[in-house]
Amino acid sequence: MSSEPITLIDYDAGNLASLEGALDRLGLAYRRAATPDQAALSGPIVLPGVGHFEAAQRSLRERGWWRVLPSLVADGRPLLGICLGLQLLAEGSEEAPKASGLGLLPGIVRRLGPGVKVPHMGWSRVRQNYPHPALPDPHGGWLYFVHSYALEPTAETIYVAEHGRPFAAIEGRGTVMGFQPHPEKSGRAGLLLLKSALSWMGASTPEPEAPCN
Amino acid sequence: MPAKRIIPCLDVKQGRVVKGVQFKELRDLGHPAELARRYDAEGADELVFLDIAASLENRGTREAWVREVAHELSIPFTVGGGVTSVADARSLLRSGADKVGVNTAASLRPALVTELADAFGRQCVVAAVDVKRDAELGWRVYLKGGTEPTARAALDWLWELNDLGAGEILLTSMDRDGTGDGFDVQLLDELSALPIPLIASGGAGLEVHFLEALQHGADAVLAATLFHEGILPIPRLKAYLAENGVSVRI
Repeated sequence: MSSEPITLIDYDAGNLASLEGALDRLGLAYRRAATPDQAALSGPIVLPGVGHFEAAQRSLRERGWWRVLPSLVADGRPLLGICLGLQLLAEGSEEAPKASGLGLLPGIVRRLGPGVKVPHMGWSRVRQNYPHPALPDPHGGWLYFVHSYALEPTAETIYVAEHGRPFAAIEGRGTVMGFQPHPEKSGRAGLLLLKSALSWMGASTPEPEAPCN
Repeated sequence: MPAKRIIPCLDVKQGRVVKGVQFKELRDLGHPAELARRYDAEGADELVFLDIAASLENRGTREAWVREVAHELSIPFTVGGGVTSVADARSLLRSGADKVGVNTAASLRPALVTELADAFGRQCVVAAVDVKRDAELGWRVYLKGGTEPTARAALDWLWELNDLGAGEILLTSMDRDGTGDGFDVQLLDELSALPIPLIASGGAGLEVHFLEALQHGADAVLAATLFHEGILPIPRLKAYLAENGVSVRI
């Protein structure tokens, strides 16, 4: 069991306040890391993200994360991307055709639409597409989304959602996982999902409290 | 299609949630984070906080409670009141708000909406508009909390807000606000082609009013007193809407 805190990548492209609130409520220890040398030595790394693909990629490059993340993953380090974080893990995105993604998840991120309101903003249902040992079948449960681009689903996409067309809501390969919805904004369902994923990734959960006499 | 949203609205003054009692005194309802937690647990889909006494002096107070709300809440929230610049909005978003609301400042300087959309993306920009119907001129825009009439035609302004980069419209009918007679569905019908989400506000008194507004094109419905006073608990409202075929998160 790892006793290292979760590493939150801090690169000015994410709402860390809400994510930290969610981790506090779950009792999971975390540490912000602006550069890889500030990362915990083990345990999950979380890549949050809102904003533009290319700007986020540039910011990750400047801080040294872009180069290091693939080798950390190759060494078996768990990595969770949230929202734009998921998109950065893919092979590339239509939002920035000249830039490439980290290629840690298969597929290309494409713009949503036509024929639906973009950005896709609000609560949408997700369904299980491929079983994962840590994530329960959501049975059409609701999660909160805010995005204009989405990863194309594959046969092994874990959760699929739909906005005009099906897209990957949760994608995973090996120790890498990506959430398109915001688990920290998705009520109780989101908190449970975050807890399941991070515990599976080796985040230390608090000891159960001793019963009072 | 995302679920239809139920949104409680909270008025905040100097870091406390307040409620006006017959236009005279303000009753203290508690700390924003406290109420946020309660509504989160009840199943609200989103919250809107309106800082009714926003000023330069209380900016620090506001950042503090916004940060606390962000820390406690597991649903998205908007903060509005006195946002006149990209810097104001940045301070709220950095403190953890998901969206910022603009009203009077956007009407006085429409470019503000575009500046905010360019800086943060249009999903962060909620344009609040207060309207009142004039027998001859149709719906007009009112400013400063609905106290100041303007010559601006409401329907034109709503379309312009869409063009300027607003991500969402929070539309309050001054004619219905506080009456409990139901939302202004005629007004909603006029806006069915608007390409951005519309939050209907003003007039909720009964469960059926929410159903009507959603059937007349609203993407979300907002109310204050009904929820604060516990007159209509959110779980009951959602169960009613679901029974009537509305897609809501339960």
